Amino acid sequence: MKKAWSSMIACTLTATLIAGCSTAGNGSSQNQQTAQGDGKSSQSGGRVLNYWSPFSGDSQKWDQERIAAFEKKTGIKVNVTFVPNGGLNNGKLLAAITGNSAPDLVEADSPALAYSYAAQGSLESWDTHIDQLGLGQNLMPGFKDLMQYNGKTFLIPQDSNVLMLYYNTDMFKEAGLDPNKPPTTIEELDQYAEKLTKMNGNKIDRMGFIPWTDSGGDAFTWLWMFGSKIYDSSTGKLALTDDKSVAVYNWMNKYAQKYNPAQLKSFTSGFGGMFSPDHPFMTGKVAMTVTGNWFTNALRIYAPNVKYGVAKIPVPPGGRENGTLLNSNVFMIPKGSKNVDLAVEFVKFGLAPEINGPNFDQWRSIPVTDSKFDEVSWTKQGDPIYKLERELANSPNAGHPALTKISPQLSDELKALQDNVIYNNKDPKELLQALQDKLQKALQ
Amino acid sequence: MSIPSIERKRDYQLASAHQRQSFKNGIQLTAQYILLLIFAVCFLIPFFWLVSESLKKPSELFEVPMLWWPKSPQWSNFTLMFSSFPFLLYLKNTMMLVIPTMIGSIVSNALVAYGFSRLEWKYREQVFVIVLITMILPFQVTMIPLFLLFKELHWVNTYLPLTVPHFFGNPFFIFLLRQFLLGIPKELSFSARIDGANEFQIFYRIVMPLAKPVLTTVAIFAFLHTWNDFIGPLIYLSDNHMYTLSLGAQQIMGTLDPKWNILMALGVTMTLPVLVLFFIMQKYFIQGITMSGMKG
Amino acid sequence: MNKRLNIKQRDLRNAMLFISPWIVGTLVFKLYPILASFYYSLTDYSVVNPPVYVGLDNYASLFHDPLFYQSLANTLYMGVFGTALTTAFAILIAVLLNNRKLKGLSFLRVVFFLPTLVPVVIIGILWIWLLQADNGVINTLLSYIGIDGPAWLADPSWAKPSFILMMLWSSGGAMIIYIAGLQEIPESLYESAAIDGAGFLRQTLSITLPLLSPVILFNVVTLVINVFQWFAEPLIMTSGGPDNATLFYSLNLFRNAFQYFKMGYASAMAWILLLIAMVIILILFKLNKKFGHIE
Repeated sequence: MKKAWSSMIACTLTATLIAGCSTAGNGSSQNQQTAQGDGKSSQSGGRVLNYWSPFSGDSQKWDQERIAAFEKKTGIKVNVTFVPNGGLNNGKLLAAITGNSAPDLVEADSPALAYSYAAQGSLESWDTHIDQLGLGQNLMPGFKDLMQYNGKTFLIPQDSNVLMLYYNTDMFKEAGLDPNKPPTTIEELDQYAEKLTKMNGNKIDRMGFIPWTDSGGDAFTWLWMFGSKIYDSSTGKLALTDDKSVAVYNWMNKYAQKYNPAQLKSFTSGFGGMFSPDHPFMTGKVAMTVTGNWFTNALRIYAPNVKYGVAKIPVPPGGRENGTLLNSNVFMIPKGSKNVDLAVEFVKFGLAPEINGPNFDQWRSIPVTDSKFDEVSWTKQGDPIYKLERELANSPNAGHPALTKISPQLSDELKALQDNVIYNNKDPKELLQALQDKLQKALQ
Repeated sequence: MSIPSIERKRDYQLASAHQRQSFKNGIQLTAQYILLLIFAVCFLIPFFWLVSESLKKPSELFEVPMLWWPKSPQWSNFTLMFSSFPFLLYLKNTMMLVIPTMIGSIVSNALVAYGFSRLEWKYREQVFVIVLITMILPFQVTMIPLFLLFKELHWVNTYLPLTVPHFFGNPFFIFLLRQFLLGIPKELSFSARIDGANEFQIFYRIVMPLAKPVLTTVAIFAFLHTWNDFIGPLIYLSDNHMYTLSLGAQQIMGTLDPKWNILMALGVTMTLPVLVLFFIMQKYFIQGITMSGMKG
Repeated sequence: MNKRLNIKQRDLRNAMLFISPWIVGTLVFKLYPILASFYYSLTDYSVVNPPVYVGLDNYASLFHDPLFYQSLANTLYMGVFGTALTTAFAILIAVLLNNRKLKGLSFLRVVFFLPTLVPVVIIGILWIWLLQADNGVINTLLSYIGIDGPAWLADPSWAKPSFILMMLWSSGGAMIIYIAGLQEIPESLYESAAIDGAGFLRQTLSITLPLLSPVILFNVVTLVINVFQWFAEPLIMTSGGPDNATLFYSLNLFRNAFQYFKMGYASAMAWILLLIAMVIILILFKLNKKFGHIE
């Protein structure tokens, strides 16, 4: 009996060891740099940068090319992990920071989320290195707030994007509207929307405009455009209960009550992504929508036959006229990064125009200093859309909204509030007050 | 000798009763069959759709009205998938997780479940409740402490955190095996003990062979759980070339511009080998039941 | 030396040896994390900064949080209706599939188990497609028989039923376990019942269900626990909407833990979940004792 027991235990242990050794052995044989698993570069003797990137698809290819060029130029080896959102919203980065195995550099594609990491004190600051980065002078006004928290610089924008109003020019002509005169105020927007809407009995054939498609469905877009302060960093208080904020949801509710809210939502439901060929703007279900410059790439690929124009986003009186929302990809250094100097070198390399060039070319994204616009091919070609982007980016009303410690939660709560108003025809003022009270506590 | 007329009448009555009964049975059977078929078709529809989408051109994916089947099936989606997605590498990685997990799950849970079902001891039921409790706690709250633990052991970025714990029992499988083992008659164990067998021999020679069906079930579920798991690999693996199929699929999905037809092709390809495996294994465990023979 | 132990002691020692892997595993891989999570529940813990002790504040806040109640209600809805429907459905199909008199069953069994083989990440997208209001497969099929399908995932009243549909479709695992359990029931019992004149329904109620009760208990408990832990599909498919209709408990927990920097709050949620689940499971066990059949 003892023999049976001991042989069983021996078997189990052996199996464990075999499993452990073979997998661990394989792990290290495939890639020497990761043998340590926690970012030390001592083993290989060379310099190694551990970098997390959020990109996928074509952007990932571009990033890989960028990395290859960097490695060639500097001899620094880059250990890249491609992880959705840079690991910021699924616990991966949190675990790594706590476990003292954080990467040296992370790039995030969601600035508000990255900002909350800065505000929570989980990032190292760039201040001692900022001169080396070659960001140049004349950073456009909307970027300073993004980069700094409490007077220190934590986020370096790689590039940015702006939101615009896209409209279908054929549909405009069909409805008797001048495609060269897009709506400039919310009132006009509503009027145009009505003219462009086609009903088939009770069913909707085409909606002129739905406030919450694409970027309109993000929590802060319309609050920002309508002129709400959302968060006052000088007082540290949320500002969501003023008339401008309330007006946003009442305006959305108008659309909801006129047409059935569930019908509206399902009319445009797809994957929520901007790149499915079933996007309602591409399939002609919706005549106008508010989204970012990246959408021009999607239209080029999936709906080359749709004739469209772009314009600045319409605002109500007192709103952020000629303004827009900026949406930037940012570099951040997590606490516990072991190769800050290598991270700085990589970012410096990445900010160079010839490196960022292909990125701009594909997505019509923009640099963060005005002078760099001139080097982009779109500008050289005289592209009118890019010209509009440049104007909008330089506007004092362009910015990154809701840069707070609690932005992810604020965003989710605002979206739920929006649904509540639309589906249940509730009064937004009370709801906003309750939301503000609840979240103000979290800000203390 | 002639059969008395009364008996003949009874025979006749019995025969027609049997005929009526089998006719009734026939209707019942057909009804059951039809019901099954209807449900089966319903179950197949999503899978059919998966296959259909995997063969479509990107423009056909979202056509209105809906296309049941692509006009010209793009088998090239599959070759495209193989060239743009490291399928074989990720498959190998997934198998490196799956095989130890299956072995560990079968061995450890069989032992533990045996202890909770085939032996009588004080506080057995109470301790078992503790087993269940450990099943309930959501992974989100244990994830960070566990990560820290594995970090101390230097197991991060290896497959160890994803395989070793399976050699130490899993409440789900312990529960499953226990329920089944409870159903095996105690007399089998008693008589073996009287014959002088020690507990491990009873476990290995008598009880486990009878438990083959449920052990196969455990193997299948362990396989599927590991095959599908992407959270574990997401948290513990930093190297892209250690990624598993599920994590890789998740990455594609997280893209701004996912190529849906290729993703669907990946879905089909991930399902097929498992399907074949299941087909083979199911014949084994659904048949070969001697347990009911024991009870009857 | 062994022979001097009496039977009870011997059994206890053997039992301890058999369950030793579980004991070790739980102490190492479960106990520490569980205790840690309880400690965190008493703190304000952003994960990137050390925990700050706040006593029972998290629990107090939870009881004032409307999202806590809503997510709990959503999950209980799925727990009750989803589990009940799925259990009834799975048993029905398992009984049908177990009928030895029908041909071609091994193929059909595969069909019902097939959904569990499709990777979870793919299932989410697949079902978004299927449930598309205008162009989805389900509504198209319904239109063939003249029904105007609802907006499914876009309609707060239909979002949860959509998830129940998904649960039913994925119940192949439970079905297989029921089949294995059904096969343990001797054919002879059914035969003698048939001779006594019992029809299909009567047989099911008096033979199948009672003898299947340990398996039913297992599947129901497992389902309930799974429902409580469900978060990947709602995250991918609906982000908890519309109108928080699919904000399930675990999704809310996930957000607090990994997106809102409120690991302490999330840990408190987890412990409340633990208590609720324990109560439910104890109730289920008691019910099983009362109505079930034990060897």
